[in-house]
Amino acid sequence: MRTGDFKQTYGELVTLIDSPPIWLWSVVLVAALIVAPHVLNSYALSFLMIILITVVGALGLNILTGYTGLISLGHVGFLVTGAYAYAILVSKYQMHPLIGFLGAGVVPALASLVVGAPSLRLKGLYLAITTLAFSFIINTLILEARWLTNGARGISVQRPEIFGISFDGDAAFTYLCLGFAVLALFATLNIRRSRVGRAFVAIRDNDTAARVMGINLHAYKLFAFVTSAFITGLSGALYGIYLSFVSVEGFPFLLSIEALAILIVGGLGSALGAVLGTILIVLLPEATRMVFSLFSAQMDAMFTTGAQELKSMLYGLVIILFLRFQPRGLVGAWHDIRRMWVNWPLRY
Amino acid sequence: MTRLLTVENLSKRFGGLQAVVDVSLAVTQGEICSVIGPNGAGKTTLFNMISGVLRPSGGRMTFDGTDLAAVSPSRFAAIGIGRTFQNLALFKHGTVVENILTGRHTHLRSNVLDAVIFFGRTRSEEIAARQRVEHIIEFLEIEHIRDAVVGTLSYGQQKRVELGRALACEPKLLLLDEMVSGMNQEETEDIARFVLDIRDELGITVLMIEHEMRIVMDISDRVHVLNFGRKIAEGTPAEVRRDPAVTEAYLGGHRAEAARVEA
Repeated sequence: MRTGDFKQTYGELVTLIDSPPIWLWSVVLVAALIVAPHVLNSYALSFLMIILITVVGALGLNILTGYTGLISLGHVGFLVTGAYAYAILVSKYQMHPLIGFLGAGVVPALASLVVGAPSLRLKGLYLAITTLAFSFIINTLILEARWLTNGARGISVQRPEIFGISFDGDAAFTYLCLGFAVLALFATLNIRRSRVGRAFVAIRDNDTAARVMGINLHAYKLFAFVTSAFITGLSGALYGIYLSFVSVEGFPFLLSIEALAILIVGGLGSALGAVLGTILIVLLPEATRMVFSLFSAQMDAMFTTGAQELKSMLYGLVIILFLRFQPRGLVGAWHDIRRMWVNWPLRY
Repeated sequence: MTRLLTVENLSKRFGGLQAVVDVSLAVTQGEICSVIGPNGAGKTTLFNMISGVLRPSGGRMTFDGTDLAAVSPSRFAAIGIGRTFQNLALFKHGTVVENILTGRHTHLRSNVLDAVIFFGRTRSEEIAARQRVEHIIEFLEIEHIRDAVVGTLSYGQQKRVELGRALACEPKLLLLDEMVSGMNQEETEDIARFVLDIRDELGITVLMIEHEMRIVMDISDRVHVLNFGRKIAEGTPAEVRRDPAVTEAYLGGHRAEAARVEA
C-alpha cells in the first residue's frame, strides 16, 4: 500500500495539481460554474459575474503586491485605463473585440512602465503614494482628453460578439468572464512556479539576497508592474462591458482599497487567497445588507442609499479585523484547519 | 595555478569611516582561503564588495580575467561569484526547495511570457532545475526538511539551506561569511566537511570569513588577517599563527609581549 506522498519522476514535482482529490474538486468546481448560469436567477448571476471579473483584477494586483511586495494604491488607474482602451478601440473605432481586449492589456502595461520606472527606488509607503498619485493623474488625463475619451460623458460599450458567438446574454457573458478568470488564474499560478515568480518573491523577501542570486531588481520590478497592469487592465475592460458604460465615475478610488482588502482578507501572495478574498469581499456588503434587513425595512433602505459609504466602512473594518486576528488571511485559516484535521487528536 | 580573484588596493569609506583600507589579496583556483580578524575589521565589507553588494570607493578587483568594476551588481552571480550571508538572508516564506531553486536563477532562461504558458522548454528547464536542487539537497543531507518553510527551521539548518542556495548558482568562487557562528561542535564539523567536499568534489574555490579558529587552521590553505580595515598578515595557517602582528591584533600589545616571552 502506498502511504504518504510519493513522486516517481521529476516532472511530477513541477505539476500544478499533484493530488487526485484536488483534481477532483477542481473539476467539480469548474462543472458547477458551467452549470451555474443556467440555474441561478439574474440577481445571483450578477454577483457571479462581479466575482469572476474581480478575481481577474485581484490576481493582477496579487502579482505586484502579493508576490513582489510592491504596495500599489493605484490599482484603479490600471482598471480604468484598461476599460477605456477597450471602449475606445471597440466602441469608437469599431475594432474587433479581441483587439479591444489586447489593447485593454497592453495600454495599462505601457502606463505601468510610466509609473513603474520612477518607482524603482521607492519602497513601502512612498511607492503607495506614488501609485496613488498615478491613479489620480490618469483620471484627470481621461477627463481632459475629450477628443479621445468623451471626457466626463463617458463611452457606452456593447457586449461583444467574438467569432460569431454573441456574449450578449447574461449566461454567455458569465462564460466570457469565467474564461478570463481561469486564464488569469493559470497565468498567475504558472508565473509563481517558474523562475520569474521565484524572482518576484525573492525581491519581496530579501532584495539584497535576490540581487546576489543574479536577479536584476530593476528589470523584475518592471516585469511585475507590466504583468500586473496587463491582467488588471483586462479586468477593467470586463467591468466596463458589465456596466455597459465606461466613465471615470464607474471606477471610484474605493476599488483600489477593495483590491487591497481582497488580498489581505484572502492572504497576501497567494492566488487561492485572491480568489477566496474576492468571494468574501464581493458578497460581504450584500450579506450585511441581508442580515440588517431582517431587523427592519428602514435599515434596508439605509443600505441602498448609502451603499458606497457603508462599503468603505465595511472594508476598513474587515481589513483591521483580519490584520489583528488572522494576518495570513483566509488561506492561512484554511492551512490551520487542514493541519488540525490531519493531526487531530494530537496537538502537533 | 591560475589566479581566480585578484584584489588590489581595495578601499571603502562610509562617510568619515574607513571600513576597508588598501587591501590586496589573491585567491588561487582550487584554494580554501580564510579571512580572519577581530570584530569590525572590515571583513564583511570586503565580502560585500567582492559580491557586488557594495561598490568600492577605490582599488581594483579582477575575477577570472574580468574587471569587476565593469560588471553590474546583478551580473556577479552569472560570472561565477556566489555567497552566503553572516545573518541569514533567506527567502523565509518559501520552502527549502524554493529557496535553492531561486539560486538557479542565472542558469534558467524563461521570460515572463514563457512562464505564463509554462510549456515545452520552460517546463523541461524547470524539471532540470528541480533535479539539480535534489542533488544539492542530497549533498547537504537535508532531504528530511526539503518541503519545510525555512522560517520554521533551526539556525544551523537555515545556514545549510543558504549554503545550498549559493551552490545552486554553481559559482566558481564561493564566499562564506561566518558559516559556523552559533553552531555546536557537531554542526561545525559537518560544515567543515562540506567545505572540503565543495572544493574537492565540486571544484569550487572557497573564500571564507571565520571566527572559529579551529576550522580556519584545519582546512584553510591560506589565511588573510584584517585589522581596522587594513591587511596585517597573510600566509599559511602555521605562518599566521606565529605572526606577532596577528597575536597583537587579537590579544593586545602587552599580552603579545608576554606570549613572546613565554615562547
